[in-house]
Amino acid sequence: MLPLTEAFYYILVALYVEPSHGYGIMQEAERMSGGRVKIGAGTLYTALNTLLNKGVIDNYPVPEGMDSRRKMYAITDEGRAVVKAEIARLEELLESGKHALSIGEERGT
Amino acid sequence: MTTGKEKRYRLSLSWEHEKEEDWLNERSAEGLHFEKINFIKYTFERDSSVRYTYRLDYQGGLNNKEKKQEYIDLYKDAGWEYVCSYGAMWHYFRKEWREGENPQLYTDRESLIALYKRIQSLIAVLFLCNLGIMSFNLSRPGPIRIVILAIYAFIFFVLGLSYVKFNKKIKGMEK
Repeated sequence: MLPLTEAFYYILVALYVEPSHGYGIMQEAERMSGGRVKIGAGTLYTALNTLLNKGVIDNYPVPEGMDSRRKMYAITDEGRAVVKAEIARLEELLESGKHALSIGEERGT
Repeated sequence: MTTGKEKRYRLSLSWEHEKEEDWLNERSAEGLHFEKINFIKYTFERDSSVRYTYRLDYQGGLNNKEKKQEYIDLYKDAGWEYVCSYGAMWHYFRKEWREGENPQLYTDRESLIALYKRIQSLIAVLFLCNLGIMSFNLSRPGPIRIVILAIYAFIFFVLGLSYVKFNKKIKGMEK
């Protein structure tokens, strides 16, 4: 699945914290990215279906007292492994980039 | 303020959905708001006090009521009002128009490419279906065969052209 698109990444990261419904995921992604990543309804709907099919998220029973109209989703163990692998990949990219920048600066270019 | 229903007729090639969105949005700017579709007949409500942005979605697998309702609810949460569907796959949504805003259902390149690919496979299926129907029709004897052949030549031309157009669009985005 890697690399994940930004939308897939934020959906999984939002669900890593706690199960949520589609609307909650949209809001969380926007908040975490400082308003940069706004996931459209079509993008979210198709992404949730894809993630369900791949087994990285699952349906989650709606708790008592919450709006039962809104379907909820939870991350699976497989999903957690995907997030960890993606973060390791991003860390490598980030470290390589930072390292190259610092060497470049030392050499005064 | 005038209100009331009005009808318009338009033959839309369903895979030219972005053109259709433009057409509906232009009507809405004139005070005619799309409400339902029956083959080529579009029904509008006249109301000069509002204006909407219309979007058309292509989404399969909504055969049961519960699934469809979940789908509509999710879009509603994102601020989209469900208008109607055309067949099982095409669904119309709208949102109140706001100056300087251009709301989209698909907000990243990857999901937009995936949408185009889904529509492209619809065209491919139509192409194959017509190929089957044509070979059945051509098995009939007589001069009618030339007419049938001409009609199918046209259908294949339109479908083939659409397929190629989508290919170009997708290739352009994947760069």
